[in-house]
Amino acid sequence: MPVENSTSDRHEDFVALYVRHEPAVFSFVLGMVGRTADAEDVTQRASMTMWRCFDQYETGTNFRNWAFQIAKNEALNHLTKARRDRHVFGEKLIELLAKDYGEEAEKLDARRRALDSCVKKLPEDEHEIVSGCYAEGVTIRSYAKQKGDSANKFYKRLNRIRAKLHHCIERQLGLEEQVIR
Amino acid sequence: MNDRDLKDLIDQSLNETIGEDDLRALEQRLIEDPVSRLYYLKSINLHASLRHRFSVKPNPGNVLSFINHFFTIRRVLLAVAASLVLFFGIFSLWIPSRSVGEVAQVVGAYRDNGVAYEIGEAVEPGSIFISRGLLRLDFSNGARVTLEGPAELEVFNESRIVLRRGLVTATIPESAVGFVVDTISAHVVDLGTSFGVSVRENGQTKVCVFDGEVEVSSSKTSGVSKLTQLVREGEAVRTKVDSSVIDSVSYETAQFENAWPVNYGVLQTTGSMRFVSPGPNFHPGNYEDNEHIVVFPEKRDFKASESIRVDMIDPGEYEKSHYDEKPTLVPNRAMTSYLLQLDAYPEGKNPNRRRSVRGQITFANPIVGVVTEDRLLNQSEVVFGIPGADYPSARTIEPRPEGDQRPGFDKLILTADRHSLILELRENPGHLDQVRVLVEAD
Repeated sequence: MPVENSTSDRHEDFVALYVRHEPAVFSFVLGMVGRTADAEDVTQRASMTMWRCFDQYETGTNFRNWAFQIAKNEALNHLTKARRDRHVFGEKLIELLAKDYGEEAEKLDARRRALDSCVKKLPEDEHEIVSGCYAEGVTIRSYAKQKGDSANKFYKRLNRIRAKLHHCIERQLGLEEQVIR
Repeated sequence: MNDRDLKDLIDQSLNETIGEDDLRALEQRLIEDPVSRLYYLKSINLHASLRHRFSVKPNPGNVLSFINHFFTIRRVLLAVAASLVLFFGIFSLWIPSRSVGEVAQVVGAYRDNGVAYEIGEAVEPGSIFISRGLLRLDFSNGARVTLEGPAELEVFNESRIVLRRGLVTATIPESAVGFVVDTISAHVVDLGTSFGVSVRENGQTKVCVFDGEVEVSSSKTSGVSKLTQLVREGEAVRTKVDSSVIDSVSYETAQFENAWPVNYGVLQTTGSMRFVSPGPNFHPGNYEDNEHIVVFPEKRDFKASESIRVDMIDPGEYEKSHYDEKPTLVPNRAMTSYLLQLDAYPEGKNPNRRRSVRGQITFANPIVGVVTEDRLLNQSEVVFGIPGADYPSARTIEPRPEGDQRPGFDKLILTADRHSLILELRENPGHLDQVRVLVEAD
């Protein structure tokens, strides 16, 4: 049936676009909501909204900008709710972050690609810590407990590993070292 | 604040150990300084990329394959429906006097001799009279008709009834397209839909289409040709005994609000609970009602191919629980889904008012699961939601934490017989309370 075929094609179009941009959407959301588990929930919700509203997306226009807009609204909804219990970023900062992320998105994509080779260069013990702490459903705290060590130790080690990866990415991209030391 | 401090704050934020004051300090710094903001975004990007790289995620294609699944299921159902029509069609030629359906629901419906109707009774061609109450007839071809008393109905066969007086709501699946409701002044032919018909003492007939479309013609001929009008969802018409004209009238569903839910397995709603007749462009996202907990029917008799995580399965009062403790419903269990919603929006002189809205809903079949938390609502929506509907997000039910004496929490009780749900929701302007109720299929 033609209607169903076109829906199915549309579905494939959506999946192809979404898969390509999902890492950016997740990163965009994480910067706003702060907590990884929350960012995963918000990203999942946003993806559902995107699918439902995919009719409104005009083929050929910038999917990422469209996806960011939806993700930002989902993040704002989440923050409104979370604000009852604890302090979260306010709307003013969210707007600034959304604007900056939109402008920097391509550079941030390049950094993500550069990260791949940097991760491969990590010594074995550091690689193990990163892959352990960043596995799905794992928190640094739960990883530390599993290893029978203090969470504090892992926080510090991860801070150092991230700084190392940060510098590696800058070198890869031939960028000047940041002023931040 | 120096750069060392900024890096510390960002690290604490990434490690999720940052305190309130530090988070405020970080926020202030990021608002004021674009360079810090850029550094923050790079750090977040690194953190997110690591998570993305090392977490084994389900392929989004799989997540969205549910959506494909809808279409496959529909195709299978159509095939089954078509074969049923064939089967019953042939069967009906062999047996002259036969049952054409059965009484599926009874809500205080009595015959004129005072004898109550009972669920499971066969419906045979002939007259049905009820002095009061509601009676749902499920015809063998899949058509569901709920009659509200006082009413008088003549059943010809599974595809044709004559409503002499009173009111019916009909839900007609594909297998029963062409179902006819005749009245003294109108001939109503269903074209795959749900609709309501009411007949007054004077024969005046009103036809209100909730979904799909019907063809209405006047019983009185005008000259040689009969007048016929196509009535689409969200439209209503009226016919009179002494005129061949079909008048368009305003779409008002209030008179059908008792009978209509029974078609969907909802026996009764009380208090502020209100079952909504789907009108044009109907979906939860664009439906605002400050006064009622509205009930939207979702998928009916649907079997999920995966297990469904819910917040509550046992009778009693709802309490918050951790994700991992939540019960799951096994796959391939046929269920019907309903979404209950209170959408409080700021209004009038007192935009911050906090009233409680209470209501009770009683289903014909037992409730097997209740979903209240946002995450589980999203998950179950993919399976039971109306495809293509706009579901709002950030929904929340706040039960009273144990030992908390403050006013202003939501209450949700599943009754011991599992047929009713009692809700007391605290209005919170700008916030949306939603509950999905999964009920055993027929």
